[in-house]
Amino acid sequence: MQQLLNGIFIGSIYALFAIGFTLVFGILDRLNLAHPAVFAASAFVGIELVERGGLSLWAALPIVFVFGAVLGLVIERLAFRPLKGRADAHFAGLISSIALAGMLIALLQWRYGPDTRRFPAGSFPETRFEVVGAQVTLAQVVILAVSLTLMVGLTYMVTRTRLGRGMRAVAENPTAARVLGVNVDRITAVTFAISSALGAVAGVLFAINVNTAQLGMGAAIELKGLAVIIVGGMGSLPGALIGGLVLGLAEVFAVQYIGSSWRDVIAFGLLFLILLVRPQGLLGARRVREV
Amino acid sequence: MLAQYATTLTFIALGAIFAYSFYAVLIAGQLSLGQAGFASLAAFSAASLAPSGDDVGDVPALLAAVVIGMAVGALAAVVLGLPTMHLRGVFLAIATLGFAEAVRVVLLNQEWTGGAQGLAVPRILTVGTAWTVLAVVAYWFWRMGRSRYGRALEAIREDELAARSMGIDVGRHRLAAFITAGAVAGLYGVLFAYYVRLIAPNDFDFTAAVEGLVTAVVGGSTMFVGPVLGSGFQTMVPEIQRAVGVEAGWIRPFLAGLLLLVVILFLPGGLASLIPRRTRVPSMSGADPVPGLAARRHPAAGETVVSLTGLAKEYGGVHAVRGIDLEIRSGEVVGLIGPNGAGKTTLVNMISGLVPPSSGSATVLGTTIGRTPVHRVAAAGVSRTFQHSKLFNRLSALENVLVGAHLVSRPTFLRRLLWLPSARRDERAALVHAARCLERVGLSDLAGNRASSLSYGDQRRLEIARALASEPSLLILDEPAAGMNHVEAARLSELIRSLARDGLTILFIEHNVGMVLETCTRVVVLDFGEVIASGSPAEIAADPAVIEAYLGTADDEADGRSIADGTLTDPTGAGGAVAAPGAVTNVDPSAAGTLDLPDTTPRNAT
Repeated sequence: MQQLLNGIFIGSIYALFAIGFTLVFGILDRLNLAHPAVFAASAFVGIELVERGGLSLWAALPIVFVFGAVLGLVIERLAFRPLKGRADAHFAGLISSIALAGMLIALLQWRYGPDTRRFPAGSFPETRFEVVGAQVTLAQVVILAVSLTLMVGLTYMVTRTRLGRGMRAVAENPTAARVLGVNVDRITAVTFAISSALGAVAGVLFAINVNTAQLGMGAAIELKGLAVIIVGGMGSLPGALIGGLVLGLAEVFAVQYIGSSWRDVIAFGLLFLILLVRPQGLLGARRVREV
Repeated sequence: MLAQYATTLTFIALGAIFAYSFYAVLIAGQLSLGQAGFASLAAFSAASLAPSGDDVGDVPALLAAVVIGMAVGALAAVVLGLPTMHLRGVFLAIATLGFAEAVRVVLLNQEWTGGAQGLAVPRILTVGTAWTVLAVVAYWFWRMGRSRYGRALEAIREDELAARSMGIDVGRHRLAAFITAGAVAGLYGVLFAYYVRLIAPNDFDFTAAVEGLVTAVVGGSTMFVGPVLGSGFQTMVPEIQRAVGVEAGWIRPFLAGLLLLVVILFLPGGLASLIPRRTRVPSMSGADPVPGLAARRHPAAGETVVSLTGLAKEYGGVHAVRGIDLEIRSGEVVGLIGPNGAGKTTLVNMISGLVPPSSGSATVLGTTIGRTPVHRVAAAGVSRTFQHSKLFNRLSALENVLVGAHLVSRPTFLRRLLWLPSARRDERAALVHAARCLERVGLSDLAGNRASSLSYGDQRRLEIARALASEPSLLILDEPAAGMNHVEAARLSELIRSLARDGLTILFIEHNVGMVLETCTRVVVLDFGEVIASGSPAEIAADPAVIEAYLGTADDEADGRSIADGTLTDPTGAGGAVAAPGAVTNVDPSAAGTLDLPDTTPRNAT
């Protein structure tokens, strides 16, 4: 039971991170590899806000959300918009976002140094609950609540609001959307902003969960994020949620029953299996090829 | 003096070899990140299995290790490639990445690899050897560039579907490219192992794979020198920074990232795009058949080329095409007309093997449609153009046509590696053939231009030239005259008739009814997925059912004029109502020309 809950907590962070990934891919058909750098950067910024700014953890979250959104705008402006209309935009977008990620990490190193950082002692509430015989901290409950709220909010926004309708229109056909008066550039920028904001919050939550932030934490979760969006289905928001939870649970149970050194093989075995059996993912739709 | 830079130079060579393993698949448009896994498997197997340098001497030991490594790499590529070759784009990238990560974790947990501590390997590789190997690899890809195989890979990168319809077996080519990548990655793994002295599974992680990819893309993934330039760039940037005294830990990665960003944003083809690329256009001499090309024997006039029985296609309950019975005989020029949405394109997609029929049967030039892959249908002698141009955009016009000649030219890659004169002759024959096809559609002057830079009308004609280059027995043209003015359309009509005189069978979709009536020996009219009329142009022009489908009933007679031009969409109400007598008398056979717009008169005059 304890393992189950742990799996759900870590899985919800994976899901939140992966949703940022999949949002950009689903709507703009681009893989933003600077996303993990946003994840790492926001963890450091979150820690600094608490440590130096003296803010409580919960007050820091909205600020980090905004910070992530701004980073998203920067990423879109520098790494993706200049590539618009290029035949190799797919490859080039991967590389330019990798380059930007490298720069972001370098800036983090400049500001925070290469060492692992932690939240100051006493920033976590000590409250613990007992749920069907398992220990749960208040921090963990908040992680789950924040992740779920953001995911539900995002789904509502994409399916119900005017902005979301614009996003879906751009996803279907950018040219047609532009002709019909949708401001594609603005939608693109907003998509990046939202995606990065979610990645940023995921970064802080992850840092809260393990109480560390490292320069390499983005790279470590990047692969998992990719696995999650494949397992759930590229571009599918509920798919990313389910994929994240599946991966979180699979990892926790793999550590429990097989041994920690084999954890990642489970994740990638799962990924591989899905790609072979159901390339469109659990909830993804198969794209029709056109002649 | 060289010794001082030996380490740097060796790493440039190693980086370039690794980048070539990415180049090998990027050239075919595949993004794979599994190369680190191949390299890792190769490095550890070679280090464990190869004889020691003390027993057999350094060079034989390295050679044995290289052979083992390349074999292991290639084998791993086959094992990974077979189940994943149907994946595209980022899906393939992530699947291969998953494989590499799985390899890393498995090796990390093995006894024989030394786990995280790694495995000690003697340093045998010298800077000279590294550059020699790099030269061999670069030579391989250089000679591949202008071979039939190399062009086929590029065609697959630009447009897979069009490549298929030119008779290229996409699956086999993609797998071949993947296996090459595996072998080259294996080579890199071994060389790396025999240089750095200690290898650990973590040397071949995600970061390593990304670095290889970045090197290949920065250098340029469409020209064989790209990986070398990329590796030079990636290795030298930190070196130069160190030399000029940039010391702070964060500045170096920051500047490296910045430079990478600048290169990728401002040099779309990578560093290699700084080198001008020339296209050779051969001089034409006479109209004799080109020696060295496989000549196709067309079916004798009157033999059945296409035979359709009860052919139907359904898309989720929508009957795009239903119950089509049709025979096309050799030498015919068949025009396929009908309102938009009548199922014309679906029908030719089925005939060319791109779309399997839902029911019914079709035999085209002896192949059974639905069970035969597209490239085999093409090999049987079917060639086509597309409604929306599907050219190989980043290739020149001439190269596009050369890809079209895939089926009639001989493979030249292996012979080019050996500089055999016969390969040169065959390449030259293909070039002359392609140049003639371009001349036939009037594009000789634009042979060296990129396909994407051509005007719309020229792109349509280039598609026809490309389709012609395969010497088809059945040529299918999907709206070839779209975007052409009436002078160009008249020239196209003349071209089609001259092709028919050469023994080709032609099936073409066109909205320009006047042109169809003028060009074809037979016209087939489709409406709502069914054949509503079939016969000589004169019969069709007089057929009440056709007039009804095209002109509608008396109520929407006013729209009639624009139909011949193809601008009117599905005529509503054409299904039920009966045409008013007046509408029929307006278009009698003798006045077939009245289906045209008034401004087409000059065309009839030419």
